Amino acid sequence: MPLGTLDRDPPPFFRQGPSALTKLAVCSAFALLLMVSDARFKVMQPLRTALAAVLYPVQWLALQPLAAAGQMSAYFSTLATAETVQEEARRKLSTQSLRANQVDQLELENQRLRKLLDLSVRLDTNFRAAQVIYDAADPYTRKVIIDRGQLHRVALGSPVLDESGVIGQVTRVYPLTSEVTLITDRDHAIPVLNARTGARGVAFGDTSSYADALELRYMAANADVAVGDLLTTSGVDGIYPPGLPVARVEKVERKVDAVFARIYCVPLGLVSGAGHVIVLDPLGDKIPARPQPEPLAVTPKAKGAKP
Amino acid sequence: MIMRPGQQLLLPAKPLFIWGSLLSALLLNMLFNMGWWGRSAWTPDMLALVLVFWTVHQPLRVGIGAAFFMGLLMDVHQGALLGQHAMSYTVLSFLAIAVHRRLLWFSVPSQAAQVFPLFAAAHGLELFLRMAGGGAFPGWLLMLAPFLEAALWPVASIVLLAPQRRAPDPDANRPL
Repeated sequence: MPLGTLDRDPPPFFRQGPSALTKLAVCSAFALLLMVSDARFKVMQPLRTALAAVLYPVQWLALQPLAAAGQMSAYFSTLATAETVQEEARRKLSTQSLRANQVDQLELENQRLRKLLDLSVRLDTNFRAAQVIYDAADPYTRKVIIDRGQLHRVALGSPVLDESGVIGQVTRVYPLTSEVTLITDRDHAIPVLNARTGARGVAFGDTSSYADALELRYMAANADVAVGDLLTTSGVDGIYPPGLPVARVEKVERKVDAVFARIYCVPLGLVSGAGHVIVLDPLGDKIPARPQPEPLAVTPKAKGAKP
Repeated sequence: MIMRPGQQLLLPAKPLFIWGSLLSALLLNMLFNMGWWGRSAWTPDMLALVLVFWTVHQPLRVGIGAAFFMGLLMDVHQGALLGQHAMSYTVLSFLAIAVHRRLLWFSVPSQAAQVFPLFAAAHGLELFLRMAGGGAFPGWLLMLAPFLEAALWPVASIVLLAPQRRAPDPDANRPL
């Protein structure tokens, strides 16, 4: 028996609006249009940004209990834990200080040598610190949201790193937040350099075979890649500065009948669970422009000429 | 309206409560996503549950248009393909309207069993759209989500109908 409701005004008899089927047709057609224009033509960013600005206060509100819970648990973490962490940090600092002190000298030396060899200077780029607020909830992709956006001049395509390596790239910028696609996302590719052999390649995100991993594709079956090789950014892409650690080779499968080896790598940065990250400005505007492709010389075909 | 003797007559639903509950469902979804379960695929979609609930109980107030807009908000929040949730909520809302006259004649557990196919269809549609659009497969735990949503239907019926079940003439013995 349905529960009767005491409504103050009776439902309209004749003015019922468009039928449910009509509404379904209109709304799903509109949704399809949105999906196609978002996925194929990438023209929906203004609408997305506007809706994100509307949604931001609600998200902020939802984050408050989480932030409070985090603070509470941090407050109750014992003194001993804090001391261990500090000890660890101090040890790390002392091991790094040796290298850090040498870096200045090495940089100077490098600069002089480069000048001597007449090479272009190494590119320096600006960076800004950011904090990962949460993982984007879409289970079909691997993305995180950071707390720096258009207002903090985050540029689209900026590389994002944590203390141990590259974790991703900014793919959408909202007014106060940005969306970072992780290097383990299926659609993400990063040009890498094998630090041991100097061979360049492209690592693609791969969530199918391993949980959070990368796959170094298009390496010949007999290519010199060994388990434990360090992959760093190659710097030829105009986005990532060279030499940032990306991943380590975990497993190499060579099959007799396959042209390419299957090479699985694990990211060095904390792709799941990074807290504080650094957003670099993309190198794009600092590297020299690409040379214009030479116009193809049109050679008039001689009449009756044989090919 | 044909009423049986002894059957409780509900108070009218307040529009403010309806929209407030939709907004709280969105907040709860965000809380699940941002805090506890991250991007796990099995998380029950509270907004879908509340939307179906109000579409079944108040089809004149909450309909397909509202579902579409809520879906857009959900898409933007998740950073998903824009229109994916809008599409699935639209279909969900349409199916809810299609069953709303029949559904309330059944007991609440039986209603839960009958709304399960609706949620399953919505999740299936989303999966199909994303797979067609080239997403990574989110894992088989996705199958758990419609079960959880259907299992929460009795909870939603109790919580969301509670303001309407209050006494029309509260006194000292019946404050609520």
